[in-house]
Amino acid sequence: MRLGLLVLCLALLGPFLGEYGLKLLSEALILGLYAMAFNLLFHQAGLLSFGQAAFFGVGAYAMALLMARSGWSFLATLPLAFLLGGAAAFLVGFLSLRLTRIYFTMLTLAFAQLLYAVAHKWYAFTGGDNGITDLRPAGPWGESLPFYYLTLGLFGLLVGLLASLERSPFGYALRALRDNRARAEAVGLDGFRHLLLAFALAGAISGVAGALQGALQRSVFPDYLFWTRSAEAIISTILGGSGVFLGPAVGAAAFLFLRVLVQAQTEYWPFFLGLLLLLMVLFFPRGLAGVWARLGRGISLGVERGAPRG
Amino acid sequence: MDLSFLLLQLLTGLAYASTLFLLSVGLSLIFGAMGIVNFAHGSFYMLGAYLLFAFTRGQAEGFWAGLFLVLAAGLVVGALVERLLIRPIYPRPEEYQILLTYALLLILEDLVRLAFGAGYRSFPLPPLFSSPLFLLGAPFPSYYLFLLALAGLSALGLWAFLYRTRLGTWVRAATQDREMLEALGVNVPLLYTAIFALGIALAALGGAALVPLQAATPGMAVDAVINAFIVVVIGGLGSVWGALLGAVLIGLLQAFGILLLPEMAMVFPFALMALVLLLRPWGLLGRPPAVRT
Repeated sequence: MRLGLLVLCLALLGPFLGEYGLKLLSEALILGLYAMAFNLLFHQAGLLSFGQAAFFGVGAYAMALLMARSGWSFLATLPLAFLLGGAAAFLVGFLSLRLTRIYFTMLTLAFAQLLYAVAHKWYAFTGGDNGITDLRPAGPWGESLPFYYLTLGLFGLLVGLLASLERSPFGYALRALRDNRARAEAVGLDGFRHLLLAFALAGAISGVAGALQGALQRSVFPDYLFWTRSAEAIISTILGGSGVFLGPAVGAAAFLFLRVLVQAQTEYWPFFLGLLLLLMVLFFPRGLAGVWARLGRGISLGVERGAPRG
Repeated sequence: MDLSFLLLQLLTGLAYASTLFLLSVGLSLIFGAMGIVNFAHGSFYMLGAYLLFAFTRGQAEGFWAGLFLVLAAGLVVGALVERLLIRPIYPRPEEYQILLTYALLLILEDLVRLAFGAGYRSFPLPPLFSSPLFLLGAPFPSYYLFLLALAGLSALGLWAFLYRTRLGTWVRAATQDREMLEALGVNVPLLYTAIFALGIALAALGGAALVPLQAATPGMAVDAVINAFIVVVIGGLGSVWGALLGAVLIGLLQAFGILLLPEMAMVFPFALMALVLLLRPWGLLGRPPAVRT
C-alpha cells in the first residue's frame, strides 16, 4: 500500500524533474533496489552477505557485454541480468551457506573479491580496469525520463515482489530460520533450500540493479564488484533502518542526496560519511526509521504530558 | 629461471610476508579475544606509514627513533579508539562493529589525505640498510633482512607474551570464556583495551616498516585490510601462528604467482581464501568452533 503510494508519487513527480533530478532519483531507486535485496537476506534471513557487489557487478557486466559485444537491445539484457545475477548467487550461495555467521560473511566477501580480481585482470573479456564504456541504450531508454519510468517500474515490481514474499509462508520460514535454525529444521523446514532460494533471489534483484546502474552511468567498471560497493548496501540499510520494510530504500536515497550535498561543498565526502555512520551506530542504531519513531514517540509523549496541564 | 633468481623471489615473498604478518596478527588477536571485526585495521597500518613521515620529517636518519615513536603512538591511538568508540558496541551484533570500524576507515583515510596530500609518499632506506647485499651474485635489498628479523622477533615476542606471562594467559583465556575470567577477578575491560592497543600498534609498526620499500598512499588502507582478512581467515581467526602461516603463504603466492601467471596474481589470494573456507572454515591453524546445541 505504502509502496504503491510511493511509486505513484514518484511517477507524478517525473515530468517536473530536470535532467539532473531524474538522474539522481533514478540512481536513488537503483541503490534502493539493491539495498532492499540485501535486506531480504539481512533482516529476514539473518544473513550478513558481504558479497552483494558480486551480483550487482554480474548484472552490470551481463548488460554491458551483451549490449556492446553482441548488439542486444538494452531491455532484452535486463531479464538476462536477473537470471545471471541469480545463477551466480545460486552458485556462491550453494558454497557459502554451509558456513554460518562471520565465516559465511567472509566467504561471500572472498567470492566477490575473486570476481573483482577476474574482472580487473581479464582484459580480453571485460576490458580490465578500462571497463566497458560508451554504453547508450538505443531508443527511448537512452533518454532520462523514460529511463526513470523504467527504473521506477522495475523498482515497484521487484520491491512489490519482496513485500509479498515477506508476508508469504516463505518469508515466515526465513524468519523462523533466522531466529532459531535448529528448531525450524526440527519442525521440518529445509533450511539450506530456503536460504539458498532467498540468496539467489537477492542476487537476481541485485543483478537488475547493477544493469540499470551501468546503463545510467553509460559504463561498467570492475569497481562495481569491489567490496566497498557491498558496503554501500549495508550502509544504506543501516542508515534507513533494516527493521522497517522500506527502510533500506529510504536509507539509499538519504545516502545519495547527502553525497550530492556534501560533494558540492567539499571533496572530503568519505570523512563526512564516516562521521555520520559513526554517530548513527553510536546513537541511532535503528537508523532513520528509529529516529523517526523516537521523534514520533517524543511528540506523542509531549502531548500526553501536556494534556492534564492544558 | 636460475637458482639465484628463485631464491631472490623467495626472499622477496618472505619480506612481504613479514609486513603482512605484522599487519594481520593484531587483527587476529582482536577478533579472537574480543570478537571485534575490525575493518579499520588497515587504516592503522596506513597511519603508521604516514606517522613515520611526520615523526622523521621524511629523513632516513630518524628512521629508528621514528619506528619507536610509531609503535608508541599506535599503542596510544589504539587504546583511545577502544575506550571511546569500540567499547560502547561490544554487545551489538557484528554488523554494527563492521559499520563502525568502516566509518573509522573512511574518516582516517580522508584525514590522512587532508594532512599529507593524496599523492605517493616514498621514504628512503635507512642508512644501515642503504646498500644491497648479494645472493649468488644477484643483488637484493638488505632491508629485506631487517623486515624478516622484525617479523621473527615480533612473532617470538608475542609467543613469549601469550604463553609465558600471566597477562598473556589472560588474553588467551579471554578468547575462550570471558565470564569465567571476570569471575576470577581479572579486569577484562582493561585487558580488552590492552589487546586492542597492542594489535593496532603492531599494524602501525608494519605500515611504517613497509614504507622504505613501498610508497605510502591514502588508498593503501583498503587494500591492507582485505589482505589482512585473507591472511587471518586462511590461518584461522584468533591464531597467532595462523597469522604467520597465512602471511607466509600469501607472500609466497604473490612472489611466485606473479612469475607463473602474472595477469592472475591478484586472483590467487582470494582463491586460496575461498578454498580454505570451503574445506576448513576455521582456518588452517584455527580451532573448529564448539558444537552448540
